[in-house]
Amino acid sequence: MITLGNYLALSGLIFSIGLVGVMTSRNVLKVLLSLELLLAASNLSFVAFSKFNGDYAGQLIVFFVILVAAAEVAIGLAIVVLMYRRLSTIQADDLRAMKW
Amino acid sequence: MLQGTVPFNNQILISLSMSPYFFYFFAAVLIFASLSVVLAKNPLYNVLSLVVAIFSLSCLFVILEAFFVGMVLLLVYAGAVLIFFLFVVMCLNLNTVTLTSSQQSRFHWLGTFVGLMFVSSFYFAAKSFIKAQTMEATSIRGTIETIGKILFTDYLLPFELTSLLLLIAIFGIVSLAQGALSTGKNTENP
Repeated sequence: MITLGNYLALSGLIFSIGLVGVMTSRNVLKVLLSLELLLAASNLSFVAFSKFNGDYAGQLIVFFVILVAAAEVAIGLAIVVLMYRRLSTIQADDLRAMKW
Repeated sequence: MLQGTVPFNNQILISLSMSPYFFYFFAAVLIFASLSVVLAKNPLYNVLSLVVAIFSLSCLFVILEAFFVGMVLLLVYAGAVLIFFLFVVMCLNLNTVTLTSSQQSRFHWLGTFVGLMFVSSFYFAAKSFIKAQTMEATSIRGTIETIGKILFTDYLLPFELTSLLLLIAIFGIVSLAQGALSTGKNTENP
């Protein structure tokens, strides 16, 4: 029998994998992909809570999260392309202009 | 097996959501694909394994009977966002030297440590969350009809605000691209 706990454990595992990806990779594209993993994990827990609580609000929030993530990816990838044109690198450590 | 009042399609979907093997299969695919997103060296493989992860996540949504959200996830993520990622990866035309050299950051071990801490804390949280284990799945089904009704009555204002957000995102991208074009012209003809 699959309970809510199974879905929450899976969601936490995916969230942890994405968090490790965000914190350990220097490649900006990889950081954006790991951010997508974080959003996917939270979406999974939202849908699982919606199913087990009997409330449609969780699925609507997932819909809005997907739309906001699309906007975020569009802006983020535009910034990555600009960064590659100006600095000809996509490593995050090479962005040193605002480092103190 | 077949009761007279329940349509055949309904029977199939209910038996699908009852079977734990589907959950374990798609959960395993999701875990391995997301590990591959983080660990693979080639960015093309990262993007393609994220496509696999999103597909299995959408299958999990279907098991949870959230059909509309699963469909939107497939259309928007696998159809638009990840193709955009692939387009950018191919457009940048990165050679392997810039990609594989010093892939890990200096906070590599700190990040892994924090991730392991998160895994253990999620494990203990899931163990102590007794109510989650006893909760029964309700019979709600997120079809297009039900989600659409709620979306256009109770959640109309956030829906319209989301369209405004997408409009602002388009403005931002256009202004970024204009800046890139003007600087490109400056470098070509100084």
